[in-house]
Amino acid sequence: MGQTQSDQPTLLTGAQAIMQSLVEQGVTTIFGYPGGAIMPTYDALYDYQDQLHHILVRHEQGAGHAAQGYARMLNKAGVCMVTSGPGATNLITPIADAMLDSTPLVCIVGQVRGNLLGTDAFQECDVIGMSMPVTKWNYQVVDANEIPEIMAKAFYIAETGRPGPVLIDITRTAQSDKMTIPFEYKPIKSLVSYKPRIEPKAEHVEAAAKLINAAKKPYILAGHGVLISGAEQELNDFVDKTGIPVATTLLGMSAMDADHPLYVGWPGMHGNYGANVLTNSCDVLIAIGMRFDDRITGDLASYAKQAKVVHIEIDPSEVDKNVKADAPVIGDAKSALKALLPLVNKNEHTEWRNEFKKYDAEEYEKIDKKDIFHDGDKIKMGEAVHMLSNKTKGEAVVVTDVGQHQMVTNRYYRFKKRNSIVTSGGAGTMGFALPAAFGAKVALPEREVIAIIGDGGFQMTLQELGTIAQSGLPVKIIILNNNFLGMVRQWQELFHSRRYSFVELQNPDFITIAKGFGIDGHKVEDRAELSASLDTLLNSKTPYLLEIVCEKEGNVFPMVPAGGSVTNVRLE
Amino acid sequence: MLTTYTISVFTTNTVGLLNRITIIFTRRRLNIECLTVSETERKGVSRFTIVIRNENREFVEKLVRQIRKITDVLAVFGYLDDEIVFNEIALFKIATPLHGESIDVKTINLDWNAKVVHWGLEYVVVEKNGTEDEIHEFYTYLKKWEILEYIKSGRVAVGKTEKGLVAYLPEEGNWEIV
Ligand SMILES: Cc1ncc(C[n+]2csc(CCOP(=O)(O)OP(=O)(O)O)c2C)c(N)n1
Ligand SMILES: [Mg+2]
Repeated sequence: MGQTQSDQPTLLTGAQAIMQSLVEQGVTTIFGYPGGAIMPTYDALYDYQDQLHHILVRHEQGAGHAAQGYARMLNKAGVCMVTSGPGATNLITPIADAMLDSTPLVCIVGQVRGNLLGTDAFQECDVIGMSMPVTKWNYQVVDANEIPEIMAKAFYIAETGRPGPVLIDITRTAQSDKMTIPFEYKPIKSLVSYKPRIEPKAEHVEAAAKLINAAKKPYILAGHGVLISGAEQELNDFVDKTGIPVATTLLGMSAMDADHPLYVGWPGMHGNYGANVLTNSCDVLIAIGMRFDDRITGDLASYAKQAKVVHIEIDPSEVDKNVKADAPVIGDAKSALKALLPLVNKNEHTEWRNEFKKYDAEEYEKIDKKDIFHDGDKIKMGEAVHMLSNKTKGEAVVVTDVGQHQMVTNRYYRFKKRNSIVTSGGAGTMGFALPAAFGAKVALPEREVIAIIGDGGFQMTLQELGTIAQSGLPVKIIILNNNFLGMVRQWQELFHSRRYSFVELQNPDFITIAKGFGIDGHKVEDRAELSASLDTLLNSKTPYLLEIVCEKEGNVFPMVPAGGSVTNVRLE
Repeated sequence: MLTTYTISVFTTNTVGLLNRITIIFTRRRLNIECLTVSETERKGVSRFTIVIRNENREFVEKLVRQIRKITDVLAVFGYLDDEIVFNEIALFKIATPLHGESIDVKTINLDWNAKVVHWGLEYVVVEKNGTEDEIHEFYTYLKKWEILEYIKSGRVAVGKTEKGLVAYLPEEGNWEIV
């Protein structure tokens, strides 16, 4: 099969190779921000606009979080593209966030010319060194010929196993140089030095099934791994057969219908009463795709000591890291649950399930009721979210920022649809929600996407209102405004004898700001108008901002004080 | 009790990997006693030998799993001293001034199993191979003379098993011998 001279493919520049790789990888959307060191690639992008939808954000952090929201909705890598130096450093926060929350990202970062590397050239910074602790993998490209292979590797590593962020630092010369070999994009299916286990070992599954079948009081903690592997159905089948009560972690929310009779809420610092306390009563604790974060376990020395632990986890380094596993199952949640299902016995566990109900009732009396059906005149965050949940029938995608409103949202939004929560869990990054909600909406425009943000966090990334306005996508934004950095204020109230040290904000007029960006909105203060206000928000065909002025010094309960035991739950 | 662990890390030959590995130690405030990076008998495979001391075996096991998680790491082993054959190499530059006490080459050779590898004008360089303890003892002996400089390499170690490295590497690799 001799090739004649004229058949020779034209050689691409590195920049064109980046574009072509993205197209062949199936990427359709890029969140980015241009600058000097990435200009050759932006120039190539000009010719790829039909195939690659580029969204110009207002700050690189926004690009990163938007890519995270996008990735979490679709369970495939979000792509962001930024320039060197400050462009890259601005991306570090979302990368760190994505690392902790197992979110696949491919970050394409411009770098100074190859001959200037290491010379403190204009906008040079050691992005590889800086991002090393917060990336799953990173790589510096100095040779255009490497680009297709490195791009393929980046997507493979970001999306498989325990997903995570990958950064590729590409010198300006590697972008502008012509490749000397014909472009060929071969998706990578395996790497010799990276072997995530998806299918669990049969003996692991058998050992786990044995423990589960012998259990009198088994208890499931379902985490983000269920959403990432798309194991919601498998989890349901498993639970329906075994009759085991399930709590979902903050990131595992929406893994199960909140109204499922076996759903018992969530564990952790602001999680449910029973879901916390009964961790120390169960005899077999089944952790699925979660990593026993300290916000869940509190004091490890008194955490679930009585229980045998089954730990289904894709990342072997998480097993035994915080809680020792009696039956570790290394593999992804979906495959593990599938493999377990035929081995577990049918059961009801009615009595055990009823133990949760007692706690639920007390929690409802002491907390929910006061949050939702009070007779104060100030709106409480809880009632706003409760009402929103009812109005949307629990079917919206909810994106939260970080703080009291985040905890309240997860308490009162009753998720009915799978994969519907996007929140910054591991890193707790304020400023996450607005861009992440935008990214989620880009990914799934047909779904209602609602961002719930605090007045503090909103001011960290509010410039992305511009991005949202420019896109025209009807992202619904709620600010739960308590005029405080509420979560910090709560800690200062409870643990620092009300010494309110720099937590009160003088806030701008949020609605004027939104309108300045071309986004409609209004503010509600009166409880009587809350319902109509939410209707206006939900009925809007364009992006909309609803500012809900809330009680200033409301606290989130239940609360397991940091480092305390899960049985030591404060209800007020 | 502080126990010495030797961690052998086999990796693909990738720029920056040393950094990625050491971050795992720094994050846990763990001091690296010594570190040796070397090539292996297999093409494209590098080997890091890291010695740490720690009281907690579980902690070391977790550390090993964290290292194994790094993309580009092929295999990791944590060894106790009795599971490996290991050695270090030390060089001592000793002053031998014209009228000073001359060194005792015979004792150095026979009793200490070391050798003079370089004769300078008013100094010699002595080389000694051995474990940390053996080298330390030798150091004490040499103190009779003025030690101008002393340097010791990191540990090199191989596991006490009949298996070769390739037995532990992922099967589908092309582990060509160099
Ligand atoms: C980037 C960042 N800085 C600081 C914090 C610490 N922090 C956690 S919650 C919180 C208060 C958030 O206030 P607000 O956004 O108004 O939400 P609220 O708690 O009032 O609902 C702060 C400052 C953080 N999580 N992230
Ligand atoms: Mg606030």
